[in-house]
Amino acid sequence: MLKIENLQVKAGDKQILKGLNLEVKAGEVHAIMGPNGSGKSTLVQVLAGREGYEVTGGTATYNGKDLLAMAPEERAREGVFLAFQYPVEIPGVNNVYLLKAGLNAIRKHRGEAEVDAFEFLSLVREKMKLMQMDESFLNRGVNEGFSGGEKKRNEILQMAVLEPALALLDETDSGLDIDALRVVANGVNSLRRQDRAILMVTHYQRLLDYIEPDRVHVLSGGQILKSGDKSLALELEKRGYDWIRQGAAAA
Amino acid sequence: MSAAAPKATTSVDRYRSLFDARPLPDNALTQWRRAAFERFAAIGLPTQREEDWKYTNLRRLESRQFTPATPAPVATDESRWIANAGARIVLANGHALASLSTVSPQPPGVTLLTLGQWIANSPEQVAEFLQKQRRDASSFELLNAAFLEDGVVIDLADGARFDQPIYVIHQMGPGNGMSHPRIFVRCGRNSACTLVEHYIGAADSETLTNSVVSLDLAQGAKVAHYRLQQESSRSFHIGTVHAHLDRDSRYACRDIALGATLARTHITATLAGPGAEATLQGLFAPSGTQHLDTYTLVDHAAPHTLSNEEYRGVADGRGRGVYRGKVIVRKDAQKIDSRQSSRNLLLSPTAEIDTRPELEIYANDVKCSHGATTGQLDSTALFYLRSRGLSEDEARGLLIRAFAESILSTIELEPLRQHLEQQLNERFASSEARA
Ligand SMILES: Nc1ncnc2c1ncn2[C@@H]1O[C@H](COP(=O)(O)OP(=O)(O)OP(=O)(O)O)[C@@H](O)[C@H]1O
Ligand SMILES: [Mg+2]
Repeated sequence: MLKIENLQVKAGDKQILKGLNLEVKAGEVHAIMGPNGSGKSTLVQVLAGREGYEVTGGTATYNGKDLLAMAPEERAREGVFLAFQYPVEIPGVNNVYLLKAGLNAIRKHRGEAEVDAFEFLSLVREKMKLMQMDESFLNRGVNEGFSGGEKKRNEILQMAVLEPALALLDETDSGLDIDALRVVANGVNSLRRQDRAILMVTHYQRLLDYIEPDRVHVLSGGQILKSGDKSLALELEKRGYDWIRQGAAAA
Repeated sequence: MSAAAPKATTSVDRYRSLFDARPLPDNALTQWRRAAFERFAAIGLPTQREEDWKYTNLRRLESRQFTPATPAPVATDESRWIANAGARIVLANGHALASLSTVSPQPPGVTLLTLGQWIANSPEQVAEFLQKQRRDASSFELLNAAFLEDGVVIDLADGARFDQPIYVIHQMGPGNGMSHPRIFVRCGRNSACTLVEHYIGAADSETLTNSVVSLDLAQGAKVAHYRLQQESSRSFHIGTVHAHLDRDSRYACRDIALGATLARTHITATLAGPGAEATLQGLFAPSGTQHLDTYTLVDHAAPHTLSNEEYRGVADGRGRGVYRGKVIVRKDAQKIDSRQSSRNLLLSPTAEIDTRPELEIYANDVKCSHGATTGQLDSTALFYLRSRGLSEDEARGLLIRAFAESILSTIELEPLRQHLEQQLNERFASSEARA
């Protein structure tokens, strides 16, 4: 589904990604871990189409298409979704309006009719229940005045409504209390299907207890230094990242 | 540098020949008009050397030749009107059109008539009334006085209330006529009314509107005043508003400037009695080569008075916006609370907005706050919306509308708010959404 080859990305004068390779197949869940500042957010933002980064080399293909050539909204309409590490507050833009506009944009792209108002409302209600969110959040400005945890839930609510094929989750677990973590994980798991894939960035093995990954990667120094199954996460929890960096330097 | 060659005819000369060509009766009102014209001729149009006009050059206006607008009915476009259940007066090129106006029924204590009617009935009384309006008039007010013919007179007795809005439509064009309407609002003690002024120009008309609105609020009176300026993009709009507030009265003005090639609104609120409160809010959105200027003057002449100003500008293309808010706190006017905020959005690298507060404070126990920001659309928010599938245009439109929302949300008249939202949607190409 997603194939990244030798991806090199610069921001300003800084080379952040230095030849990154990664393949995620449909039905799989991948976790990316790595030290602060190693380029994890850069990777998912570049995949979602954020401007301000310069791709200096390599490719990213999504379902056989050149992902990097597409506008951010095209990627979203083709099924790519990014849950932001820092969701943006947009006062004056209604939360439920954004959900509806996003859903309709995707449906239109697929040649489907606009969602019926009644059908939409019951869909949103169902997903809000899943996320254990109060309906009062619907009529507030997008993330406006939401607590850190509420913002993360709102991201997953959007994901649950938009039903992407490729979900990129950037530290969706950070800032969540234990109960909220379970709720969010539940929301993510409900999306798992044979024709969908999830790429999630996290610092904590804890999340992986709830959302079991097929693969775990360590991103450090702009490259994937090590990949393994979920036991790698347990090992990282115990030993930190230094041994991997040293191993890579020695190689 | 050589001195500029003298112009064959100056703008004052052109206005003089128009003035002289008018058949006017020999009465006190005509004398008053003539005196006003001579004062105008002596000072001419304002120049950028005057502090108040620093950011607005009137060269575009000076070179124009306008024709006297006739009272003949013009092509009105009723589809552009706002649905309104109250009174409606249509001023077509400055002249009241009785056939399209509905001024009755009037609640007890309310007198609503056109200035033309008043002049026709008792010109001496009008002249006497005008002479009593002692004030240093600006050159545009003098020009308005010289060409004064029609307008609206609203008079509320003590305690009178007009619950429905009074909707005044200034319909301009086609052609290049000039109009100098005047609106008088006199509110007795504890009276209340809502005045909606809607300036509409026929497409491609190259008209001049030079309106003057004066409002006199007695103790405890309340006025909500809306100005919606949608003149044609080739027209000129000069609007002067004077509100005089007595003890415990309240004046709220919402000024929305979307049209005209060059527009200038000058609003003065004089807080003359303790407890008086003025709220001035506005939105201006120049695009193309439009130049939209707003100047406000809040004069805290009495202690315990309140003012609150909030203006937002959105400039696109090579549009230029100006907002300057002057606040004067007179000596001995203690316990003043004055707030001013100006937030601006530049949508293109060639757009420009000049904003500056000006404070003149002669008392010591005052609370004055002011803030001004000018920025661009938030690129992170733009990306966030696009990452949810919204097109770039749609995302931009949403963010611009969200920016305007704090002004739009203060508009209590539902049909007017809807009309405005639709206008902004068309201008910034996006669909419906509000938080
Ligand atoms: N626009 C930019 N200009 C310069 N440096 C940038 C820019 N964007 C990101 N960086 C730098 O690139 C590096 C990678 O940032 P990124 O946000 O991808 O890290 P991360 O792995 O997500 O870290 P964290 O775990 O703290 O979220 C950081 O050192 C960051 O400061
Ligand atoms: Mg990050």
